[in-house]
Amino acid sequence: MVNPVLLIVVPLGLSFAIPLFSLISKRIEKYIPVAALVFNLVVSLLLIPKVLKQPINVFIGGYLPPFCINLVAGPVGILFSALIALIGLLVSIYALDYIREGAKQLYHILYLLLLTGATGVVLTGDIFNLFVFFEILCISSYALVAYFGDRAGIESAVKYLIQGAVGSSLMLIGIGLLYGLFGTLNMADIARNIDSVSSISVFVPLVLLITGLGVEAAIFPLNAWLPDAHSSAPSSISAILSGIAIKVGIYALARVIFTIFGASSLLQFMVFLGLLTLLVGEVSAFSQNNIKRLLAYSSIGQIGLIVFALGIGITYGVVGGLFQLISHALSKALLFLAVGYMIYRSGSMDISALEGMGKRMPLTSLAFTIGAFSLVGFPPFIGFPSKFLIIRAALSKEEVLFTVLIAFVLLGTVIEGAYFFRVIQVLYFRGGQTDIKREEAPVPALIPIFILMILIVVIGIYPKPVTNLLNSASSELLNRIEYIRGVLG
Amino acid sequence: MSFLNNYIYYIGALGLILIGLYIILVKRNLIKVIIGLSILDTGINLFLISIGYMSEGTAPIFEKGEAKLARMVDPVPQALVLTAIVIGVAVLALALSLAIRLYHHYGTLNLRKIREQRW
Repeated sequence: MVNPVLLIVVPLGLSFAIPLFSLISKRIEKYIPVAALVFNLVVSLLLIPKVLKQPINVFIGGYLPPFCINLVAGPVGILFSALIALIGLLVSIYALDYIREGAKQLYHILYLLLLTGATGVVLTGDIFNLFVFFEILCISSYALVAYFGDRAGIESAVKYLIQGAVGSSLMLIGIGLLYGLFGTLNMADIARNIDSVSSISVFVPLVLLITGLGVEAAIFPLNAWLPDAHSSAPSSISAILSGIAIKVGIYALARVIFTIFGASSLLQFMVFLGLLTLLVGEVSAFSQNNIKRLLAYSSIGQIGLIVFALGIGITYGVVGGLFQLISHALSKALLFLAVGYMIYRSGSMDISALEGMGKRMPLTSLAFTIGAFSLVGFPPFIGFPSKFLIIRAALSKEEVLFTVLIAFVLLGTVIEGAYFFRVIQVLYFRGGQTDIKREEAPVPALIPIFILMILIVVIGIYPKPVTNLLNSASSELLNRIEYIRGVLG
Repeated sequence: MSFLNNYIYYIGALGLILIGLYIILVKRNLIKVIIGLSILDTGINLFLISIGYMSEGTAPIFEKGEAKLARMVDPVPQALVLTAIVIGVAVLALALSLAIRLYHHYGTLNLRKIREQRW
């Protein structure tokens, strides 16, 4: 049997082995992340059938929980680790050609560390361990945002660092309070005892944890860092930050609210927060002239939609939320990767500079169009089933409130469609020059773009295998008794 | 006075946390903000350590197979603080190196003047 620990250990070890490998040859250092993530993807996919039968618990150090640090490879954990490995692998192939200047070796080390941190967060069953992995993720992403070292990059990295550090400090205070209350750091053990103390003393750590994780998950009003950081980072890092980093924040938030605290009374609040985030993100995206800032604000909107769906709190809602999470990760990664080379070729991030790209880079423009259509929710693409499930979940609550709220969500989608069509119109129908030379992106960049396009279409047409995994993932999130029993026996 | 005696560490920790947050929110100089982050970290570490503290306690080491459980401090918060200190140092080092680069680019550390990125 494959041990889920390998999902964390192998990338961690390989990331620090990169300087050693580069002693042998300078050229192989950029292939190490690819190798590590291929391994992670294969292991995650191998574990899926086993995990669907029964979650795998790993006790580190040979002690039994709650005394040891444990890993819980349930359907949720493996779903996320497979997604992280998939997106990470595709982006690392893209980076083979895209990262040409700067401290390349450090880029690859930090990139693998970022993904190690993300994988650790989704697999761990210990709340302090979750904090540590989160810090690994955050510190490497602060450094990667500043990778180019230009004015905008440094400024956004400083902002991101200050806000992120305050957020994780608040989270640590929350963890300290929980330890003071329960004398344990094991998430299942805390969840088992959470009802034994008065709800007011649990409320403070809950608020601190939600605020701390909300910074990382970019929930309104804690998202001021996101548009700067995502637009100033290298495009490959923007794809990872939008596709993976904020999703991991959402995961941790869901784990805290659903599993540890079982705070069903809070879900209504999360629904409103999600809707507010959605509308703020989409409206801000509408008024942007910088293409990467537009995509960053659109990420905020999509995060809002995911939080909204998870907050509905019924099976369909959680399945829809997780599906939307996957669909956004694939589509937004595709959009950032496509835009990366368009900016590289045109030399500007202004939307107006993309005129004529439909002829100059037809394949990349096609990829952008597919990603945009998928985010808006057009039928043959993956965005359609996910949005459909969310709307169905909201309507199946059969409450007037949710019917009104879903109308606002659809309004957000309309705004989203409007600004994406504006960009697509610029790509194909602006600029009268006829004698444009074809300058397609290089092959290492086209491979991940093609794979993402194929995945978006195939899962959009045939979502059944994914929804099977999502169903058991949502039952893991909603059924906390089962989770506690699985860990503590 | 027994209230003060019992809770003096928590009061001190809360004080440091609030001072740190105040500095981060109000000060304009990036170096001062980073000092605020450091004070916030110190406050949290003091808070964590005082959860497991016990006056006149000893290290939790078993002697001759028997445990003197009554007078042992809780080792877990100490392990947590050790980790938190390391993380704090990493964040601080990164923040200071970013501050140097920021000064190179803008010639100032005043955060109110550095706002090229806007909504």
